[in-house]
Amino acid sequence: MSRNRRPSKQMLLLLEALSARTQQWRHGYDLMKETGLLSGTLYPLLIRMTDQGLVEAEWREPEHPGRPARHAYRLTHAGVAFAQTATHAGPITFTKGSFA
Amino acid sequence: MRSAVSRALLSLANRSLGSDRRMWAMAMEAEFEAAVDDRRPFLFAVGCLFAAWREIGKHSEGRLIVATYALALGILIPMAALQFQQAVGFLSSADGPPFGMPSAGAEPNLYLIWSQNSAIPILLITWLLLGMVHLCLAWMLAEGDWPRIVKCGTLIAAAMITLSLFMSVLMLDLSPLRAQVAALAIEFAAVVFISRWHMRVFPNASPEMLTR
Repeated sequence: MSRNRRPSKQMLLLLEALSARTQQWRHGYDLMKETGLLSGTLYPLLIRMTDQGLVEAEWREPEHPGRPARHAYRLTHAGVAFAQTATHAGPITFTKGSFA
Repeated sequence: MRSAVSRALLSLANRSLGSDRRMWAMAMEAEFEAAVDDRRPFLFAVGCLFAAWREIGKHSEGRLIVATYALALGILIPMAALQFQQAVGFLSSADGPPFGMPSAGAEPNLYLIWSQNSAIPILLITWLLLGMVHLCLAWMLAEGDWPRIVKCGTLIAAAMITLSLFMSVLMLDLSPLRAQVAALAIEFAAVVFISRWHMRVFPNASPEMLTR
């Protein structure tokens, strides 16, 4: 069963930030600073978008020695296509099945 | 101090996310260092906790965690308070006439008074022990330490049997235990329910977990 969803304002902000440099891996805290979203909003969004196949995540080596590896994110092809539609056309409807 | 509180909140968030979201818990923990550098660890940790709690109802492990905390905070802690209250109540009633007197006008039985007075310390210790074990049980349940939960349960059963024997033989009165036995039965059923749920959620958990 497909479910209609409209991207929220916060999701649009995140899509905009991620689609600015689609090939670049971005860290969670940098995304928070860029979008102004708090961790309580950003992480549920990232979790949901990763589950839907819009975002891919990867562990990256730390910039400073002694620090833990950091999780980095970027849009998938489906995510890029969705971001183009969503950010240019405003809030739209999409089906969960299209990302399966 | 603020950093320690932030780390504790982040740790709570990580625990709330459950094993199927372990990767996200590690991701939050790694980003916490960036938040510390930015001097905003508290806000970041509170956000992570909020995010974890938003996710908690969406997976079976999360629902189990909520149920476990509800049992610990909603039943076991009040049960511990009930034991302490019983102990205090028992101590104050010990000043009155001996328990189980046949009638108000009957002569006090010196042997009965002596035996009851001798039993008061052990009964008091048993009630206080029951209260303490309930607090431990609540903690172990929150920790998910099932071998120790089984040990706590055994200790509660042993203390309850001791209490019943002393109350019936020495005090000739089991009425203070009626409500307690009913509450313990409910508590026991709830713990068994949670343990079965735990086994459903973690079917590959070691079978030694409950018997160790």
